[in-house]
Amino acid sequence: MALFVALLLCQLAAASLTITIPTSNLLPNPQVLPASTHATLTTIPSGNDHRLTASLSHGSTLVFQHIPAHQESYLLDIRSSEYVFAPYRVDVAADGSILGVWETFRGNPWDNRGSEKYVVDVAGKKQSDIVVEAKLVGRRGFFEERAKFSPMSLFKNPMILMAIAALGFTLGMPKLMENSMTPYSLKYGTILTDVVDPELRAEFEQHSRSSPLTGATSNAMAGGNFDLAGWMAGASSGSTANTDAAQGGATGRDTGASARRRG
Amino acid sequence: MRLQAALFVAACVSPAAAIYRDEVNHIDFHHALLGAPSPDSTFFLKPSSASNASLLYTISDKSILGAVNPRDGAVLWRQNLSRAGSPAGAGILRGSDGNNAVVGAAGQYISSWTAQDGKLIWENQFLDGVVADLELLELEEAGATSGTRDTLALISGEGTGAVRRLDGASGEIKWEHKDESGDVAFQVSSSPTEVFYISLQSALLKGYKIKVTALDLVTGRQTRQYTLNSENDIPTPESVLFVGANVASPLIAWADKTHKTIKVNVIGTKQVQTINIENTSDHEIRQITIHAPHKLNSLPHFLVHYVTDNGAWADVYHVDLKSSAVSKAYQLPYIQGQSVVATSSIDANVYFTRITDSEAVIVSSASHGILGRWNVETSSEAAFSAISEVIAKGKNVAVRAAVLREAGAWELIRNGQTEWTRHEALIDAVAATWVEAEVQENLVHELEVEGHESMVGAYLHRVKRHARDLQYLPEWLKELPQRILSSILTDEVTNLDSFGVSKPVIVATKSGRVYALNTGKQGSVMWNTQVEKTSEWDVKSIVTRPGEVTVYIGDGSSVTVNVSTGEVISRSVPTDVKLQAILSLENQETIGIKEDGSLTGAFADAAAFLVTTSADGHVLGWSGRDSKSPVWEFVPPSGQKVISATSRPAHDPVASIGKVLGNRSVLYKYLNLNLALVTAVNEKDHTAGFYLLDGVSGNVLYAANQAGVDPSQPIASVMTENWFAYSFFGDVVDESSAKGYQLVVSELYESSAPNDRGPLDAAGNYSAVDSLPLPHVISQAFVIPEPISQMAVTQTRQGITTRQLLCALPESNSIVGIPRPVLDPRRPVDRDATTAEAEEGLFRYAPFLEFDGKWYLTHSRDVSGIKTVLSEPTLLESTSLIFAFGGDIFGTRATPSQAFDVLGKSFSKLQLVLTVVACAVGVTFLAPMARKKQVNLLWKAN
Repeated sequence: MALFVALLLCQLAAASLTITIPTSNLLPNPQVLPASTHATLTTIPSGNDHRLTASLSHGSTLVFQHIPAHQESYLLDIRSSEYVFAPYRVDVAADGSILGVWETFRGNPWDNRGSEKYVVDVAGKKQSDIVVEAKLVGRRGFFEERAKFSPMSLFKNPMILMAIAALGFTLGMPKLMENSMTPYSLKYGTILTDVVDPELRAEFEQHSRSSPLTGATSNAMAGGNFDLAGWMAGASSGSTANTDAAQGGATGRDTGASARRRG
Repeated sequence: MRLQAALFVAACVSPAAAIYRDEVNHIDFHHALLGAPSPDSTFFLKPSSASNASLLYTISDKSILGAVNPRDGAVLWRQNLSRAGSPAGAGILRGSDGNNAVVGAAGQYISSWTAQDGKLIWENQFLDGVVADLELLELEEAGATSGTRDTLALISGEGTGAVRRLDGASGEIKWEHKDESGDVAFQVSSSPTEVFYISLQSALLKGYKIKVTALDLVTGRQTRQYTLNSENDIPTPESVLFVGANVASPLIAWADKTHKTIKVNVIGTKQVQTINIENTSDHEIRQITIHAPHKLNSLPHFLVHYVTDNGAWADVYHVDLKSSAVSKAYQLPYIQGQSVVATSSIDANVYFTRITDSEAVIVSSASHGILGRWNVETSSEAAFSAISEVIAKGKNVAVRAAVLREAGAWELIRNGQTEWTRHEALIDAVAATWVEAEVQENLVHELEVEGHESMVGAYLHRVKRHARDLQYLPEWLKELPQRILSSILTDEVTNLDSFGVSKPVIVATKSGRVYALNTGKQGSVMWNTQVEKTSEWDVKSIVTRPGEVTVYIGDGSSVTVNVSTGEVISRSVPTDVKLQAILSLENQETIGIKEDGSLTGAFADAAAFLVTTSADGHVLGWSGRDSKSPVWEFVPPSGQKVISATSRPAHDPVASIGKVLGNRSVLYKYLNLNLALVTAVNEKDHTAGFYLLDGVSGNVLYAANQAGVDPSQPIASVMTENWFAYSFFGDVVDESSAKGYQLVVSELYESSAPNDRGPLDAAGNYSAVDSLPLPHVISQAFVIPEPISQMAVTQTRQGITTRQLLCALPESNSIVGIPRPVLDPRRPVDRDATTAEAEEGLFRYAPFLEFDGKWYLTHSRDVSGIKTVLSEPTLLESTSLIFAFGGDIFGTRATPSQAFDVLGKSFSKLQLVLTVVACAVGVTFLAPMARKKQVNLLWKAN
């Protein structure tokens, strides 16, 4: 019984340190912390207890109940597999009461203390139950995200964008030309040939007959199609006024040139 | 902010080698282990009164308290109740249905945990003794906080006993009853109105008398006391068969020494009833167990189970509540083979589940009619205990029973079907090694034969081998379509088994068992053998040879086991010397190293050398010429004691002998195969010395001393290639020093200047004895957030892949692989890296090294108690196998520079095939159309 009373007295004398885990953006519900979450107080052994552990309680607090009565400066770590908490410095007086709790920075001198969480009131009475709030600094991402297929990502690809632009030009340009030829040509000072010179036409048809394949192509052009290869090769440059005239190959260019000369 | 910055920098630098979410359980596996469950403290429990779902709770022989999902055997939460410095005691666990709290005790500590998620409710320590028994009070007191049940704790100290009632919500003591009579505090039991403290009083001559003290439930005051004369039957406390707890009529039962009668006392009454045992079998009774329900409202029925050497039967008894008379109700017949019985209750009804070799049977305690019968697969391992849960739906009943087997396996049988098996004995793993699959072994053997033959002979042998292989062709062709289909359609990663990524692992445990784990199939157990009947198997090493593994034991003996079946092939006799390590040489010889560091025998190779540590903290160097006296001896400075020594791994290929700097000059690595890194600590003044020795000459090549080191915390070290690392807890020694865990990395170069090889420049040979040049050492220290208990380095086939420093973190229960570029000691300090340095991959040094989540090989798993981390190369240069054991078992594949030689899951074969098909379809459709159009045009043109 005496021993037990002594134990009780000891408990009363020694302060307890409670660390609460506040809700935050990173951790909206501290209840989700796994059961393995715990806090440790560590220092170099000079007495018996130099490593104290506290398990996470159901109220999301970590309580150190029996801090040994020995003057010591402890490093307080809160360990959880996924969440990273800031380390604290806990100074304990020779009678086991807590002198102060500060934030500390790893890799910095021990005396370089951060914001103060608790400090003993010199004038006033000593508090026996000290409550400090833990500071959550980050959450670990364990997994690599696998790139998911999405149509948007496809459109972000410059190659695809170039291809789309090219396609747009290919399909859209002839229509564009047909509709806005007059102002466009005027603007750039090109020669307006709204009506095809009948002489030229005759010459062209003559030429087409002599070369069946070119003729076929140009006829196809006449049907409203557009010669992509020719356009890309620059065949239409300068003289695109007439679709009939704007046929691929050197012939077309020659004709166009002659038309200009004549006009 | 600092942390974010650190994380950001780390993320920029480290080649992202983290695991993808869909690779979990495919490339890695994890056995979360508890240890062998204690039969008395294992039960099904419904943690919430709102839900009917129940969980399995247990406390193991390792004092680990855990909740297991009965559906799949997964551990939901666990807590280690053992505390350093607390006297050991058997773990006890109690819980009651509908109450979200389980109370566990181990040694001096009692703690209460929420049953659903394993959070602490309260914890209490009793310095006057260890906890001998726990009981939860079933009835809620009026005015008490609802949902909490008070705990009765029996504390047994030196000649004293104490019964304490602890508050269910706070753990504070409500009352206490002290017993200072010197009796053995035995158990505590309760009825709805009284608490019974049962102690054993030594009789005058021999044996014990049972003393029952009744205490008031509310005040704890002693109401009455009586003693039962049992001294003739109870020579030791273990002879008491049963003390019923929390039943309507709690009872004490014991048997006489000859197993002829059982004596039963209903607690609270003084009369002792004698039951005669009707042994109809020819064998002697080996074991008697009594099973009774543990609920207050259950019928007062109990079952006595008798086990002989080759069979078992059981009797069911009813207790009359009014007269306290015990009468036999019926008998469960004698059945050959093993048999275990479990009790379960629904409301007042009590059901007994009997599981034998061939079937599982349920009977009600009221009558002998069989309610359910299922066939059970026969197990080779003997069952010794079971717990069960019965669900009744109308007239049908269903049962699930957790059976504990002697092999340390824990098995759940649901209606006769084995649902899952947990191999808890693996928690004792002390040594492990990879073995080659048999097919690979054969091929290696064949290739060896070819290598030794003449050109023609080898050619013929090869042709023959290929001809022989043709017999597998039809089978292969048959499988081919399915293989192609499955590889395209399924989500599987390419099957890499032929690249040695799923080698079996052989594990030896302290309990004398050898396991083979299939790392390709989530680490499932292929076979396991009880090689030795012991609980302290002192395994020193496991050595593999084609087709067999040999386990070497500290007493000098060895056991050889077949790799594919687990059969014991041969054993060797122990010698009388105790060994600290066993070394296996290439020519299948072994050398034992005694505790004092000397050798048991000579090793044949005269050019070889050996470095050993001795029990008195010295390091000895041996040469092949003389096995009697060491060539050199390293004695650390006075006060320091050698605690560990490490060397470069046996397989440690170096891809490049130099390091190319940003300006295209080369810094040559100091590559010495004979290095040994010795760690010595001085426990008095808290200093630690790290000494780099040359193994041949014993010269100290480099020494580092650290002050303010805590020797009681883990000090891990590792060495590979031209660098080594160590970690420790460092305390404040002067104004500028920090407090925390530190990791120091040192690199060895031939000289400080680039393009300079120092004195060894033109030398073809060098002597370690005469004038070995000292390395140029560059070191950097980092503060790390937590301790490292064990270090290793990833090993790959050619050593081209960047290495990772593997660290077991005991505080966060994980294994982290720190990429080597982060730990480069040439990182510029206090300035940003120049362009040339950035080209080398160097970036600004920061004293604090936060572990990035992507470095965690164990990702979100809780891998606890790891004592050893092993790494093994595979045929894929990118991939290294990792296996960790000691507590949990964990295995994974590490790809430190990403899986550059493997098509991962992101490579969609289906997409590729579909693209090709789409192109083909497009061509087949468009070709005729285009042709037709051209022909039409031709016609039009003409």
